[in-house]
Amino acid sequence: MNNVTVIVNPDDLAKKQIFLILASPGNIRERNIEIIKELSELGFLSVIITTNFPYSILNKLYAQSGVDISHVSFIDAVTRNSIGTAENIPGVVRYINNPANLTDMGIAVTELLKEHSGEKVCILYDSVSTMLIYLSSPNISKFIHFVTNKLRLLDISGIFLAVEKGLDPMLMSQLTTFVDKVVDTG
Amino acid sequence: MENPIGNNSCIEAGILDNALVMIAVLEKNGSVVTWNHAAEMITGYSRNEVVGSATIWKQLYPDKDYRNDVTAKIGAILSTKNFFENLETTIRTRSGEARIILWNTKKITDGSLPRTITIGLDVTEQRKADLFRESVIDNANILIAVLEKGNVRIWNHAAESITGYSPDEVIGKRDVWKWLYPDAGYRRTVTSRITDIITKNRYFENLETIIVTKSGAKKIISWNTRRIGTDTTCQDIAIGLDITERKHAEEALISYMTEMAMRLKGPVEIIRDNLSDVAKLSREGKLDPDEVALVLDGQVRNASQVAKNMKEFQQAIAKKNTEIPESYRQFLEGE
Repeated sequence: MNNVTVIVNPDDLAKKQIFLILASPGNIRERNIEIIKELSELGFLSVIITTNFPYSILNKLYAQSGVDISHVSFIDAVTRNSIGTAENIPGVVRYINNPANLTDMGIAVTELLKEHSGEKVCILYDSVSTMLIYLSSPNISKFIHFVTNKLRLLDISGIFLAVEKGLDPMLMSQLTTFVDKVVDTG
Repeated sequence: MENPIGNNSCIEAGILDNALVMIAVLEKNGSVVTWNHAAEMITGYSRNEVVGSATIWKQLYPDKDYRNDVTAKIGAILSTKNFFENLETTIRTRSGEARIILWNTKKITDGSLPRTITIGLDVTEQRKADLFRESVIDNANILIAVLEKGNVRIWNHAAESITGYSPDEVIGKRDVWKWLYPDAGYRRTVTSRITDIITKNRYFENLETIIVTKSGAKKIISWNTRRIGTDTTCQDIAIGLDITERKHAEEALISYMTEMAMRLKGPVEIIRDNLSDVAKLSREGKLDPDEVALVLDGQVRNASQVAKNMKEFQQAIAKKNTEIPESYRQFLEGE
């Protein structure tokens, strides 16, 4: 792997750290793909919680970028919200009705992590910024606190994507306390 | 003029008559021997009407019950000592006006005759001024504390209402500052800041501190001080404005505005970039028409949610600000 372009340090990932990755609005989808590519190359099973692009599109874009999609699993909060219905594909994608349904999202995360217990898993949450369309910052903060606690209990790495300069100082400081590292990729 | 005190001295008589306080020399039974010019001016009763009898006291205290009260008070004082100091009574003048007089007496002898010199200071105007000042201080909606050598002398109603400590608990002591700043470290910081400011300016303006009230609540107070009087008899006036609600409102407004900025500006940028992305991917042939439609549907949903958020924001503004004209309120509330 070319370490020059590494977004998340593999050593930190090995230590099961949790990251907040900031990207400019125009680069956030590319960062998503780059991170998944890196995780895939490091042998991680990536669990993507997507609130921005639908599973079907991301899956296709990952494949086009050379990611082994058999090592990727999705929680998709977009598709049902857009087209109404979509059937879960076991081991591949779980749909939740909309990004504001944090209860269903929390259940989906818990169940998916249970399914992959013992495996080398990393969660990618794309993105905190899109969640702000549907939820207030206190609710997002509570949810991310819940997810990070779960990750630490299960000893799993996690990455939260957000648009740089898109979070107010209060939310930013809260998220900073929940994660181990903040990486601004521009 | 008659000999007022007993010694026939023109100088003493001149002083007596030109004094600005009531001076009356009385016999043991209260009969008036001397009634000076100031007594005439204050009471409206002339020397000729008064001297030689004790009837003036009935005229000055026409209300029997009040007169009996005053007599009882004087009797009680004179049973333990042969004079009284600063006894305050209200007399009724000839014109019917009430005047507040502060009385002091001294026993003397005129040859073998016992006499009492009675001096009455008309404090009516001073009492009115005191009452006005007390009323202003007590009805002010800001905390006012007057300190003398660090001890509290005045603690107004607002001070009690804001801090929870009554004047009885506070006046005459300096303990209240320890109660208001129970954390020793914070108290030291506040004291140090006050000392620094006073050393430079002798007063401070808009110094914000956080006090802990008797009930344990925290309040933000903006303090202003002034020092009055000379160095030996100076008093410090501390005026404290409770700005807790204003501060909280400011914080809430900032919090609200930033929340809305996050939930309006950021999302619009996300939608813009997603649309730009999908256009690019479509041109590159990476997405088929159904997939483009799926992304566009998602962005429609996002845009609808942003519009909903915006409406909530408008409604909250309209609800919070009661002074918005009705037509604008209806527009903001989307009616």
